[in-house]
Amino acid sequence: MIVLLVLLSLLPVLAAFALSRRRRFTVIVGMGLFSLILSAVYLLLHAPDVAVTEVAINAALITFIYIIAIRKTGKLVVVSDEIPGLLYREGQQISGLEKEILSGFARQLGLELVIRFLPVEQVPTALQQGEADIGAGGIISEIDDNTVLKTQGYLPTALYHLSKQTKPHPKQEQSTVTGFFSDLREEFQAGKISACTLDLARFVALSRSDLSPYTVRRLDGLFSYVFLVAPAQEQLHHQFVSYLSELEESGELDKLTRRYFS
Amino acid sequence: MRHRRIGLSIYAIILVCCFCGLVIALFSYQEPTGQLGAIYLSRAPSETGAANIVTAIYLNYRLYDTLFEILIFSVAVLGVRFYLSDYREKEIVEKIPESQIVRTSADLFFPPIFLIGIYLTLSGHLSPGGGFSGGVVAGTALLLCAVALGANTVGKRFYEPTLRWLEWGVLLVVLSLPLLPIVVGRLPFTGLLPPGTMGKVISGGSIPIYNLLIGIKVFIGTWVIIHYFMRHRGEV
Amino acid sequence: MLMIAGVIVAVILFGIGLLGMIFRRDLIIKLLSLGLVNGSVMLCLVSLGSRADGIAPIIRGPGNADYVNPLPQALVLSAIVINFAILALALVFVMLLVEHYHSTDSQRIEHEIKREREL
Repeated sequence: MIVLLVLLSLLPVLAAFALSRRRRFTVIVGMGLFSLILSAVYLLLHAPDVAVTEVAINAALITFIYIIAIRKTGKLVVVSDEIPGLLYREGQQISGLEKEILSGFARQLGLELVIRFLPVEQVPTALQQGEADIGAGGIISEIDDNTVLKTQGYLPTALYHLSKQTKPHPKQEQSTVTGFFSDLREEFQAGKISACTLDLARFVALSRSDLSPYTVRRLDGLFSYVFLVAPAQEQLHHQFVSYLSELEESGELDKLTRRYFS
Repeated sequence: MRHRRIGLSIYAIILVCCFCGLVIALFSYQEPTGQLGAIYLSRAPSETGAANIVTAIYLNYRLYDTLFEILIFSVAVLGVRFYLSDYREKEIVEKIPESQIVRTSADLFFPPIFLIGIYLTLSGHLSPGGGFSGGVVAGTALLLCAVALGANTVGKRFYEPTLRWLEWGVLLVVLSLPLLPIVVGRLPFTGLLPPGTMGKVISGGSIPIYNLLIGIKVFIGTWVIIHYFMRHRGEV
Repeated sequence: MLMIAGVIVAVILFGIGLLGMIFRRDLIIKLLSLGLVNGSVMLCLVSLGSRADGIAPIIRGPGNADYVNPLPQALVLSAIVINFAILALALVFVMLLVEHYHSTDSQRIEHEIKREREL
């Protein structure tokens, strides 16, 4: 009798707990546990037939079918350079602001997020050739590439121009970043680069090393970071744009930004 | 947006109130001693020969309900088959490396779980169980195999057309069995076999036959649902 | 007493399931809430038929013992199987929706449908 009352009072608590979880997997397993307790209640209410059927169908089979049904069916391939703050490796994991945005988007589509690291100048090529769906990694809105689709800017930024005081090379004045950012940073530390234009995230990451031989000039104009979408994926582009604006409206984006760039 | 939420919550509250009212109405209309249940309890053992009164009710007195329940189940299986055969198959079926633990436990547990399923099906008139739960338990045993070996490997062991014919053949037999008493000049939905002595394995009139047929039907239906889900959603 | 406790819990579960069905946006969680509502109704029926001093309706010998009412149990048995059938079919429809709209969020799907109508 007391066991029955305890189990009965456990039922609403478990149901409310399970249904208020965010992850679908937790909800499903919680409801499976709920069915198990419910079948124990049926047994104590002298309904063994109902208990057997409940445990066979609801607790075992239905839980399993749900778990099959929420399986992710495809992949969302993202190509990116590794930029501190935006998208970077941290031990075994990848974290950063863009990672958070992209994994939220992938979760909404029910896709598995796969991130491949590429040098920044190869990102549009990979998108054109259909090797990837989305390009990321601190891409500036001013990018003059009409072969890929662009989203709206999600984060304002600034461009900085660095040049050595001694020998101004007019040729390298406009040189943009190429290659992996980690290679670039090593070259900077070795002092091989004479002039370069950098965005805010890269500049902040570099400013930890010694920048005294360079003059720093902030370029005029408003810039922001964007994502690139493969030209064949127009529907994906539309979905991503609306996802980003939704994220901005709900204030979630501000929260994420503050977490990574306080 | 906000108006919609408020409206929906009012709707929810009204529905809960309706449910409470329904429950109160059930309380007041219920006979003080549960007379209908008492009638079943006193008459079922001698009339049907089944020790499990619940089975006696849903396979003898209320067989008509149960037939349509089986029909609903069949239509649902048909729907799953119909809609999922249009659904694209998963292109890249990634083989998750088979874990030795899962394979060994599948080998170990498949026979006992399947046997429990058969036991539940065949002893439905004596103890808790019956065709529905027995069929689902046997289907769950097959699910364990499918997880360990892959759905397609298990699926190859069944010859698909035979399975389909068996499924619909069993359904036809289940639906036509209640009409069989007409042949010997009795009313449909009356018992054809003698009740037998209560508590023996062969007793309960035609209840064990129905249990067996329903068990086969539910087993195949469960397997079809699991197979189609796994085929189109990838192995687990 | 037992009956009352079971019915009260059933009503609470009904409310939780209804709220989940209305306020959770994910279609899969909506379906799970529907299952919870179904389970609450079944619990209500079973506990209406049960008695504290009763025994399960499986006849063990001659004579009248205090068996509980078997009729609600027989009805609930059918309901569980039908619940399973409905759920499998509903899940297939959700899978088809996900295939087309790439989302299980009900409001997002509504937006997409509205957008498609406008085009």
